[in-house]
Amino acid sequence: MQSKCETHIRQLPNCAVIELSGEVDGSAATVLSAAYDEAVGPDHPSCVVLDFTRVDYINSTGIALIVSILARARAQERQVVASGLSEHYRQIFAITRLSDFIQLYDDVDAAAADVAVA
Amino acid sequence: MTMASEERLLLTFAVASEPGNERLALARVAEAVGGCGLSADQLERLKTAVAEATMNAIEHGNHNRADVNVDITVVDTGASVAVSITDLGGAHAPTKAAVELPDLDMKLAGLQSPRGWGLFLIQNMVDAMEVSTDGDKHTVRLMMHTAWPSEPLAQPRNPEGEPRAKQM
Repeated sequence: MQSKCETHIRQLPNCAVIELSGEVDGSAATVLSAAYDEAVGPDHPSCVVLDFTRVDYINSTGIALIVSILARARAQERQVVASGLSEHYRQIFAITRLSDFIQLYDDVDAAAADVAVA
Repeated sequence: MTMASEERLLLTFAVASEPGNERLALARVAEAVGGCGLSADQLERLKTAVAEATMNAIEHGNHNRADVNVDITVVDTGASVAVSITDLGGAHAPTKAAVELPDLDMKLAGLQSPRGWGLFLIQNMVDAMEVSTDGDKHTVRLMMHTAWPSEPLAQPRNPEGEPRAKQM
């Protein structure tokens, strides 16, 4: 299945940022998994930022992919935070309780600044 | 489709049962309900519910068969917007007891599949959901009140509509 999601990785001093764009649905599985592997591979950052600023759509299969990423990170004792979610998707993170495990920020800068202080 | 006398048909259409067509469905429904008085938040919630219900119809009801349609009808009842999504999975529709509640703690512990969020999202996005079968036809009817504002999402709801206690 052709992925409708694209990723771009940025390494910051205290975290790796996965910038997502497009649609986070079932077609994003391979792309998202590969992005996570790339983000944590070379420098083993203690935190990964999932940036959703340029994401148009997340469905239930996309939520499942995010859960899988979170599970992998927790097994590696790595923190996952998220930035750039619209108000609607913040609501979805709340009702699924993802926001109990993933701190939400307005943007990457806010996330990176908070991670740097922690 | 039988409608009550005060109901106004806004749109009826069909999408082929191909993964991805739920996006087409939500776009057409969003356009159809444009003048019904839904808030921006209500509209986003309805769109998500329609997409998830259509995905279920495509995948579970019609088994991703491109030659089989999902039928969608949008009605203004006067007090709400109602969207009915019909597939041909009436004979094998799961019972309520067979639907597993998603538990994030269990999913993170590897004790439950990461999937299984669709029905949960639908129930928590709309004001009411009705499921019915008529022979082979399986219909999910989603309703969003327009006569009065929906309550903001406070707590997630279980299939019985009762608030779920937040787990810490």
